[in-house]
Amino acid sequence: MASDRTPSRYRKLYAALLRFYPKPYRTRYAEGMEQTFSDLSREHAEAGERLLPFALWAFTDTFIGILRENVSSLFSILTMHAKNILRPALGSALLLLIPLIAMQYTREVNWTGSDFAFMGILLFGTGLAYELIIARSRNTLYRWAVAIGILTAFLLVWVNAAVGIIGDGPVNLLYFAVIAVGGLGAIISRFQPRGLAITLFAAALTQLLVPVIALILWAPPAIDWSPGVLPVFMLNACFAAMFAGAGWLFWHAARA
Amino acid sequence: MPIPTHHTPLTPAVLHILLALSAQERHGYGIMKQVEEDSQGKVKMGPGTLYGSIGRMIDAGLIRESDKKIDPEMDDERRVYYVITAVGKKALAAELQRYDDVVTLAKTKTILTFTPAYGF
Repeated sequence: MASDRTPSRYRKLYAALLRFYPKPYRTRYAEGMEQTFSDLSREHAEAGERLLPFALWAFTDTFIGILRENVSSLFSILTMHAKNILRPALGSALLLLIPLIAMQYTREVNWTGSDFAFMGILLFGTGLAYELIIARSRNTLYRWAVAIGILTAFLLVWVNAAVGIIGDGPVNLLYFAVIAVGGLGAIISRFQPRGLAITLFAAALTQLLVPVIALILWAPPAIDWSPGVLPVFMLNACFAAMFAGAGWLFWHAARA
Repeated sequence: MPIPTHHTPLTPAVLHILLALSAQERHGYGIMKQVEEDSQGKVKMGPGTLYGSIGRMIDAGLIRESDKKIDPEMDDERRVYYVITAVGKKALAAELQRYDDVVTLAKTKTILTFTPAYGF
């Protein structure tokens, strides 16, 4: 006869497995599924049967159900956000036509496949981020703040990748800290306006600190500071002002 | 009035769940045991398959949740019961009519010369 403790051990494992269902499904059916599993395992235990084969069968069946429901849930989310995905995709494709057409008429524009791929990913990612974040609020200040913040981040990455801000050396990798601060702060704040305001102010501060740190560690002529130390600081100040401006808008959106 | 057929054909799992609920409301374990009995052990559903089908059937309006109550034949735990809806009854009738039509056709073409196990 099976041990009385074994059905409860399998029930606990089964309850843990059910956590992998999408939350709405879990809320509706997890309790019933757990009860049904418990009833079945008790039936097998009372019949004197080993529970392991039954448990393996039930776990496998449920795992397949978990995969199916998660795929279905993902498909629903993608369908719900289809417009949010199509708009940046189409917009990116249209913008990429500009250099593509230009290349047919002039040698001044000479993009490689990887240039198109990089810019395509950057444009689509920027557009998608904008679409998904503004969906969280109808507040005009919030939406303008998102637009300015994301545009600034886009310009920072583009300028850095194309020509570099501090010369064109690896020192420019320091600017990833600005993007990291912005990205992590946005996620931690769950895209709430007050948290985003703090995030954008922190990004502005980080933007200003990068050339300071670079100057301390690699003052000229250790590395190339073209077009000059002052122009580099002025450019950084512009980016910082844009981030701070977006932060100011978020702050007022939070108070609205 | 013609029987609505927009829900046909039904999957075997859905058909057997509707059959199990056609006589009375049942909870999940009760549905499983009835399906196993009705199909003479040929259809065995795990909890994942059962509740996946229940979810889709509720969304399609074929069944609905009933009260949460105790099954006196089991234990003191309160269980969610499921009941077939009017739409579910029509879908079941349409599916059984479809099976009947196919068996009748098979008999006229002398493909089927014996009575199937379910007695159609």
